[in-house]
Amino acid sequence: MSDVERHHCITCSDEGCEMTVLAVDTERVLALCEEADGSHSTVETALVGEVQPGDVLLVHAGTALARTGTPA
Amino acid sequence: MRFVDEFRDPVLGRTLAGQILATVEPGRHYKIMEVCGGHTHSIYKYGIDDLLPENVELVHGPGCPVCVIPMGRVDDAIAMAHEPGVIFTCFGDMMRVPGSDGTLQDAKARGADIRMVYSPLDALRIARSEPDREVVFFAIGFETTAPSTALTLKRARTEGVENFSCFCNHVTIVPPLRALLESPDLRLDGFVGPGHVSTVVGARPLEFIPADYGKPVVVSGFEPVDILQSVLMILRQLAEGRCEVENQYKRVVPYEGNLAALAVLSEVFTLRPHFEWRGLGFISHSGLRLHDDYAAFDAELRFSVPGVRVADPKACQCGEVLKGVIRPFECKVFGTACTPERPIGTCMVSSEGACAAYYNYGRFARDKVMV
Repeated sequence: MSDVERHHCITCSDEGCEMTVLAVDTERVLALCEEADGSHSTVETALVGEVQPGDVLLVHAGTALARTGTPA
Repeated sequence: MRFVDEFRDPVLGRTLAGQILATVEPGRHYKIMEVCGGHTHSIYKYGIDDLLPENVELVHGPGCPVCVIPMGRVDDAIAMAHEPGVIFTCFGDMMRVPGSDGTLQDAKARGADIRMVYSPLDALRIARSEPDREVVFFAIGFETTAPSTALTLKRARTEGVENFSCFCNHVTIVPPLRALLESPDLRLDGFVGPGHVSTVVGARPLEFIPADYGKPVVVSGFEPVDILQSVLMILRQLAEGRCEVENQYKRVVPYEGNLAALAVLSEVFTLRPHFEWRGLGFISHSGLRLHDDYAAFDAELRFSVPGVRVADPKACQCGEVLKGVIRPFECKVFGTACTPERPIGTCMVSSEGACAAYYNYGRFARDKVMV
């Protein structure tokens, strides 16, 4: 994590954290996602419909609120 | 990175700054409030205020949830954390918010089992792995993080995780904005509207601002070009005598919001009659509590808490900063007794707090640097 990224507030995360979907667990409505710095985390995807690897999601506190990109 | 690089383009930024200069009326002073702490952070990180004319003042709003949490709620959290068998979980920033007798970090040092998590899902994971302990999650934030808490509570109920509960401090953005607009000591010309809160609630709930108070609102993204463009859109509305809600952040914010998120919020939460905001006092219907159907997961019902209202330290002027009445460096303890390392007030704790944003990006100078 860079110095600049470390200054982001993790509470309300209003500087959107965009993550790319790596793998999807459809049954549990979860996705393994990657941040720009290469770190991975599990994300709730119930609020953005069906996702697929390569989708870019706007994530707040572990939950995707919007899809900002799809695989080319 | 897509949706980032193009919104940090310095040429585009300077062009917008020129258009802003050409739009303002000489001799008129403009006060524009950015609602989100994320905007405040970006403004000082990128020096956006230095690109604005002298007569355009950005005022920092109450949109950082850490900054508006009253001391009494921190005391309640610490009391829960000291309950036997409890694992208390919270986001990192909350660890350093002072209560009347220290912070959660201090309580951890005194032996309480307090763990930092990045999401409520992390807290639920701890509850699953420690079934003999009570796991409490300190839920905080506006409509951006409330859906995450709501989905986790639904998941806990479905899975039957009975040792998980939530200390709910979620708040909503519209009531404090209305309270600010009713405040006699604050005169604003327009609002840079909350970007990611609007991802959830949409732009429609902000329509009362132009309708009832005659102020323009532009929902804005968080990159420098986003914010400059939003300021320009507000100034153009003022110049053209228009007053409406515009959406600069269309690439993320649907005007109607995220309907799935709104549905889960209404299922899991209900409005409290009133909730205390640091610096703003009690505001009606501004806080969320768990719906009766989720009462079994309500930490305030599961544990006994002091529930005492605690006055802010006398030296702290967070209230005036949160209302935009004074700027951070005008607080008498800014940068001296109150620093990010040893904060007195909440605005110095969170990186999105106005005082911390000023401090971390070296904004001690009272005078603008001309570019």
